[in-house]
Amino acid sequence: MPMCWTRRGTKRNERRRPFLALLCAVFFLTVPGPGQIYLPPPPAEQPSDYGKVILNSHSSTAGPGPVVFDHWLHRAKFTCRLCHVDIGFAMQANATGVKAGTNRQGFHCGACHDGKRLFEGRPIFAACSDDSKGKECDRCHSLGKWGVRKYNYDAFTAKLPKGFYGVDWMAAENKRKIKLVDSLEGISVKRVPIQAREDFTIKARLPWVHPILFSHEQHSAWNGCELCHPEIFPTARKETVQFSMFLNIEGRYCGACHGKVAFPLNNCCACHPLGPFWMAGKLGKTPDWVLFP
Amino acid sequence: MNRKACITLVLILLFCSSFLSQTGTKKKRPLPYEYGRVVINNYSEQGNLAPVVFEHWIHRAKFTCRVCHVDVGFAMKAGGTGIRAADNERGFYCGSCHDGKKVVEGKTVFEACSNPVNSADAKRCERCHSLGKKVPSDFDFFVFSKPLPKERFGNSIDWEKAEELGLIKPATVLEGASAGRNALPVQRDFALSPKVEGMPDIIFSHKKHTVWNGCELCHPDIFVGVKKGTTHYTMEDNVEGKFCGACHTTVAFPLTDCQRCHSKPVHA
Amino acid sequence: MSQPIMIVLFISAGLAALGGTRAIGGPSLRTAQSAPVKESWQKEFEDTCSKTQDAMTFSQEELTSLISRCDDLQPQIEKLDETRKKVYLRRLKMCRGLYAYVLDSKRNEKK
Repeated sequence: MPMCWTRRGTKRNERRRPFLALLCAVFFLTVPGPGQIYLPPPPAEQPSDYGKVILNSHSSTAGPGPVVFDHWLHRAKFTCRLCHVDIGFAMQANATGVKAGTNRQGFHCGACHDGKRLFEGRPIFAACSDDSKGKECDRCHSLGKWGVRKYNYDAFTAKLPKGFYGVDWMAAENKRKIKLVDSLEGISVKRVPIQAREDFTIKARLPWVHPILFSHEQHSAWNGCELCHPEIFPTARKETVQFSMFLNIEGRYCGACHGKVAFPLNNCCACHPLGPFWMAGKLGKTPDWVLFP
Repeated sequence: MNRKACITLVLILLFCSSFLSQTGTKKKRPLPYEYGRVVINNYSEQGNLAPVVFEHWIHRAKFTCRVCHVDVGFAMKAGGTGIRAADNERGFYCGSCHDGKKVVEGKTVFEACSNPVNSADAKRCERCHSLGKKVPSDFDFFVFSKPLPKERFGNSIDWEKAEELGLIKPATVLEGASAGRNALPVQRDFALSPKVEGMPDIIFSHKKHTVWNGCELCHPDIFVGVKKGTTHYTMEDNVEGKFCGACHTTVAFPLTDCQRCHSKPVHA
Repeated sequence: MSQPIMIVLFISAGLAALGGTRAIGGPSLRTAQSAPVKESWQKEFEDTCSKTQDAMTFSQEELTSLISRCDDLQPQIEKLDETRKKVYLRRLKMCRGLYAYVLDSKRNEKK
């Protein structure tokens, strides 16, 4: 249909032209790929709710109700790698398929929450234990229930440095306010660490967008290698993985963490700190990764 | 004008195709007892049976990969073999062992797919045709894996070490299926250099692989290149299930265990 | 307008026909694989394909002879019943493929 609309020389097509122009504009702005100027909106929730995961694959049918998992409490104590690599949690809500039965067997939540493992001198309460008398169930199965959670966000994060949005976890770790545990006895297997790659720049797709300075070292300190490679970033050659802000906003690539748990994507300067692309060379680093427009 | 519009449309689609690829997200990691599970459904549903659920961990403790994938002739992809009940009844494929007569570790192996089938046999059929059903198994994964050395990812079992310690003794021949074979000559291990600088070299243990797989399992179907260095492949190919990924995404230790391959000294 | 529809219908009909023929099963014969009397092709198959792990030690002539033995076995196996044909053709393919692969690698070494 658009083909005959664009034929020149007819009055009917002249009338249709503005409409066609509007159609093209809407298409290019919204469809992924061409829609590169899509800017990420700020997170809708408060920092205390940011990173909250509602797990609802089995609980509502079984009785205790959906589980509310707050990332902020666990990320102050453990690296991302410990849960997402060693224990094996998925990176999306309900994708892991946690069940009471598997928790009791020592998988997933039950890897720590077994009633025996000590943390900071105290035994961690057992998840989904048969003899909990229902007391501890509500600590996790707490959606819509008041007064059952032990830790309060404001009290917990009062002394932690704040950043663009909520807690600045990097600063908190640098200032030694939090110390992250990276290994779990009986679950983690020690490996000779692979030397983390150096930081590198990624030239953005659009020429007016500042290049991204990616800190490999910082990411691998929390995530190890396996969290991102090879599933999220299967790179052997950098240019073979092409992604965009739109895909990040969708929750892929960088968006697997940023926008859900790590700092939100509207914190532009955290990733795009440098000047325009022609300045990248002046900082002594030529772009290592070029995203094709 | 038609042609220009077509070209524009194709270009737009090419741009959009980036969001159709599968990378960029982390897949669900199967639990240790689920890893290596194969669902076979070529003909089951047509025969009013639930699809077959095959657990690799039970079988890999008892047989080398070669026995099933070369001597018996199973394919390397789910549904690739095209197993029929008739084949099993005649003593091929699953029926090579599951014939109601063979004895393994003092137990008679139950018969697969007998004919005729009556209602009393339904329970036996369900032992394999169990997708979506809660069927009790003779083997409990936790009891089975408790004495075995632990490893991360996959089945959470260090199969190599288990064999070294003599905790499992996979059979290398199957009576009736394997032709008389001599011992395998030792193959040389070699190093592969990764394309990404900074990643440790891959020490590929040809010896270990041939002890379990023989030669035909990999050559030439999975690794075609005759001269070393002529076959070029990347991690993306592996993730897609080609080359190393033929086994190391579904049954052998998964690709997330970087240092098992990317280790300058051989992982012993 | 009618032509694409005709093509789609034709392809769907073809696929349906394929699906239909696959559903037909064969007669059920209870024959044990480890029968006491081995047929001649079976003996030949075992003799030819039991040597795959020694493939690297054979000379090019020996490999060529093994490959031609595999090629001779192929028509014999194709005459068998559906089940044995399926099983042994795959095994023969792997066996012959390996010998050809090793022969290729030896020829490449010489170059």
